[in-house]
Amino acid sequence: MEPKYVSLEMRDYIVSMGAETVNWCMQCGLCTNLCPWRLVPGETSEKFNIRHMQRLGQMGMEGFEDEHILFACTTCSMCQSNCPRGVKIVDNVRAMRASIVGAGMAPANLRPILGSAHANGNPWSGPREKRTAWQQGLEVPTFGPDTEYFLFVCCHSCYDPRSTKVAQSIVKLLKAAGISFGVIGNEESCCGESMRKLGDEELFQKLAQSNIELFNAKGVKKIITTSPHCLWTFTQEYPELGGRWEVIHYTQVLAQCVQDGRLKLSKDGSKKVAFHDPCYLGRHSGVFDAPRQLLENAVDGGTVELSRSRELSLCCAGGGGRIWAEVPMGERFGELRVTDAIDKGAKVLATACPYCMNMLIDACNSLGKQEQLEIAELSELLAANL
Amino acid sequence: MEKKIGVYLCTGCGIGDALDVAALAKVATGEHKVPVCRQHGFLCGEEGRKLIEDDLQQGVNTMVIAACSPRVMTDVFDFGADKVLERVNLREQVVWSHPAGDEDTQMMAEDYLRMGLTKAKEMEPPVPFQGENLSKRILVVGGGLTGLTAAKEAAGAGYDVVLVEKSDTLGGYVKNVHSVPPLGPPYEEPQSFDVEALVSAVTGSDKIKVYTGAQIQKIAGAPCMFDVTIQSNGSSVSERVGAVVLATGSVPYDAEKLAHLGYGSHADVVTADRLEAMLKEGRVVRPSNGQPAKSVAFVLCAGSRDPEHLPYCSAACCVESLKQAKVLKQQNPDMPVYIFYKDMRATGNYELFYKQVQKDGVVFVRGSVTAVEDDGSGALTVAAEDVLTRAPIVSESVDLVVLATGMVSTASLGKPYKAQQPKEGEEELEVPADTILVSNLLNLEYRQGPEVPALKYGFPDSHFICFPYESRRTGIYPAGTVRAPMDYARAMDDATGAALKAIQCVEMTSQGKAVHPRAGDLSYPEFFMQRCTQCKRCTEECPFGAINEDEKANPLPNPTRCRRCGVCMGACPERIISFKNYSVGMIGNVIKTIEVPEEDEEKPRIVVLACENDAYPALDMVGIRRAQYNPWVRVIPVRCLGSMNLVWIADALSKGIDGILLLGCKHGDDYQCHFVKGSELANIRMSKIKETLDRLVLESDRVRFEQVSITDYGRLPQILDDFAATLENVGPNPYKGF
Ligand code: SF4
Ligand code: SF4
Ligand code: SF4
Ligand code: SF4
Repeated sequence: MEPKYVSLEMRDYIVSMGAETVNWCMQCGLCTNLCPWRLVPGETSEKFNIRHMQRLGQMGMEGFEDEHILFACTTCSMCQSNCPRGVKIVDNVRAMRASIVGAGMAPANLRPILGSAHANGNPWSGPREKRTAWQQGLEVPTFGPDTEYFLFVCCHSCYDPRSTKVAQSIVKLLKAAGISFGVIGNEESCCGESMRKLGDEELFQKLAQSNIELFNAKGVKKIITTSPHCLWTFTQEYPELGGRWEVIHYTQVLAQCVQDGRLKLSKDGSKKVAFHDPCYLGRHSGVFDAPRQLLENAVDGGTVELSRSRELSLCCAGGGGRIWAEVPMGERFGELRVTDAIDKGAKVLATACPYCMNMLIDACNSLGKQEQLEIAELSELLAANL
Repeated sequence: MEKKIGVYLCTGCGIGDALDVAALAKVATGEHKVPVCRQHGFLCGEEGRKLIEDDLQQGVNTMVIAACSPRVMTDVFDFGADKVLERVNLREQVVWSHPAGDEDTQMMAEDYLRMGLTKAKEMEPPVPFQGENLSKRILVVGGGLTGLTAAKEAAGAGYDVVLVEKSDTLGGYVKNVHSVPPLGPPYEEPQSFDVEALVSAVTGSDKIKVYTGAQIQKIAGAPCMFDVTIQSNGSSVSERVGAVVLATGSVPYDAEKLAHLGYGSHADVVTADRLEAMLKEGRVVRPSNGQPAKSVAFVLCAGSRDPEHLPYCSAACCVESLKQAKVLKQQNPDMPVYIFYKDMRATGNYELFYKQVQKDGVVFVRGSVTAVEDDGSGALTVAAEDVLTRAPIVSESVDLVVLATGMVSTASLGKPYKAQQPKEGEEELEVPADTILVSNLLNLEYRQGPEVPALKYGFPDSHFICFPYESRRTGIYPAGTVRAPMDYARAMDDATGAALKAIQCVEMTSQGKAVHPRAGDLSYPEFFMQRCTQCKRCTEECPFGAINEDEKANPLPNPTRCRRCGVCMGACPERIISFKNYSVGMIGNVIKTIEVPEEDEEKPRIVVLACENDAYPALDMVGIRRAQYNPWVRVIPVRCLGSMNLVWIADALSKGIDGILLLGCKHGDDYQCHFVKGSELANIRMSKIKETLDRLVLESDRVRFEQVSITDYGRLPQILDDFAATLENVGPNPYKGF
């Protein structure tokens, strides 16, 4: 085999892109073994080894640019939350991607997505002026000086026809609970979380700046997000760029309202519901109980716990920009998730993230299990029980 | 001593319920005509003890206590060293491991009482050995970190110390180091080490006499009576000391042998100690041109863990290299530093240090180095098989390559000592001699060789779990890197431990007591010289080299070197070596006192010679766990299986005993024998048993050797029952009734 050459310059460049902890890694390999890619067969699974990829980063050695390697990680944080060295693995992945994407070498399939986010402020190729189309037929308040919460709706739920129901349900629930909230509208841009994970640092900075300026100009103090991804970047990445607000996920607000008695739900006894913890709500943000409390109040018997749940939840494969990846059937994490739910005798698999919903629906369809298992976003279940 | 025997039968702990105690008492009063025989339901209680004490007032001086195992209640049943005491184990090894009320259980108990009585009749209270002109001073050989620490600690505990250092100044290797790895939290930075403070603590102490530029020319004698001849500046002086701490340290492995790592062919490939010296000077340069080195690569395990060089791990070089890398990074955080390693052995808190050095951006490459080459511009590249990327890799060019050379014990620097060739007509010795290397450190006047025997790779170490700090020479305690590879922190601990062992030795020896593992034993071997045939078995087989020889090959025992194992007693074909309370004849008579039922009774008898240190306690544990085994066995504890004399086997077999089971410790490289070689010697002697068996026309299956450790209690009933089953197949011993 031809020897590979170590380049400390390359290593230092990757570090400067944000892989600050890559040197901490002692190469124990725990991450590789915890990675959901170990649970599926296929080319990506065979090629992608996060321990190895970080090793290449540590040595500034070539070999990590292969798309199957560099863009495989779903940033689910299963590895990171268990790394004995506290390595910020997701940051390292992001920085290694940035070292390639930043040099203008984004893979072809990602270019339209990044391009759309640049041009339209959303990655879904939706025109900016259509951002509020989902509100049709619903009285959605506009955020004003006296509004308590700004409701930030994820681009996915603004444009994806199936996902708009999520936004609509959340609005219904917030209204029923008597929350003071409002939206800003077409000037909002994508939160940029997934763009940054894909390595487009510049794009992220642009989106974030525009949002920060907008929100601050409107006098936003508190934000409710519909997606855990927006929640995470607003709380973890925006503050150092000047965006400092009190941000919570819709499940948290609603759980509080149920507790206070402001929101009353009727109980539906007809279905067994399992809950899938979204990575960005659970492991990344530490919110595990709020969605369960809500289900407790809306379903007889509460949640059916999946065998891998809470901190050990299995990723749907939609994070880290993987929502745009083409994955052959039989290699999708979501298929394992659907099987998990069916194994537990659940009739409905609920989640609290538009990406998860999207990925699980795809998986359920590819397995042909639509008759046996319904995939739902939690807000939809709750809104039906108002 | 005029003996008056008292027998005390305890009926507590279930003994009274399981046995016919009245019948048992008859063995004592009837068969053995013992004048005093008492029973008590709780012999170890206050009342029970008083019962015995009252008899002592009435002249009883020899007690046979038939109760629990001799391993328990030792304090309660301690009536002073001037009395004879024998314990009969009715609890653990009879009633707790055999069915109550059974005829065979009763026979077993009665036999054990007979055996105890026989032994008690023959035992004498030991008279401690008292040498002359005893010294409690401690000699420390070597004035480096370990030696200085040992001297300081021993002096701090109130003992006079003689410190001998070869070079002209004290301090050793640590005197020349830039810094040492972190010794305390947060374990992230190297720290300086104040060796001067240690040196002045030693030179300033009025308890420590220091010889520098000095060497040991000769050590004669034995613990508390060592006469040391020290050669110092051309003249020799003599000092009498009690014990020795050997702290001569180690030397780096010879880098000339590491040509495959570029040493010798590239001037900029240097050893770790060379780099350390440059760090100390404050100028790390490339030897090739004298310019400052701007980038460095370390190659670890240079010569270590390599079957071609040192097969062992040198233990300190990983952390030492981390330290050097960290110092370089402290001086210039941007300096490219590589560490090529096999495994990063940074254990314990050093893990935190390793982590810090990783965070500092040192590049760690795991894998074997395949080449160190000139890049064409005069700088060097290091190529390796990188395990972690599964690819061959090449480093960027570096100015300096540092080889972390391994540690070689100073005790290993010497040719093997030639054991004396047997003279014409003498029997060849089958027992493998210990490895003794003539390293010119202690120059012991010992018949088996002039230095401390080595365990592995020339290190004079011992079993690391069972016998830390012990060597095979009583009163001599190797410490620091002469004993095993270790780092500074561990060497200091080691020094303290060895000083403590030396102190124990002088204290015990001066009272005539044995040291570890029979600590406190007052007996010692005595030789009935008139019948000695000068066969040299005892002098060669003693695991501790306790016995010297005169020109005529007469054994010259040194009781303070002796550990009281009885290996010499087992070795002597003339049976002239004995202890006051343990001898060949005594155990022979114990065996003979076992009642052997007639063949048609179908009650076989098995003698179990069980090592007192592991096998016997394991047998007790069988009882404690209430596991059962066959009632045919009669267990006789022995000090060490090496004390077994072949005549016992002949005695047993010619009396009609059906089989003999020897239970000893594990032998071999990772031996667990408390007396190092005893178990192995017993195994070797086994081969000679065949002669005895052939002479008696008996099957070789009748004698079996099993290695058991103290944790083998789960396995023991099976071992005992399997042997009984084998004997059943072989059939009864035809000598029954002869
Ligand atoms: S778990 Fe952490 S330390 Fe271990 S290989 Fe992965 S990143 Fe490195
Ligand atoms: S974040 Fe998730 S997908 Fe990415 S490497 Fe870690 S475990 Fe695998
Ligand atoms: S301490 Fe480290 S470098 Fe030294 S021999 Fe052991 S493994 Fe190799
Ligand atoms: S073993 Fe016995 S006979 Fe032989 S030399 Fe020693 S004491 Fe003498």
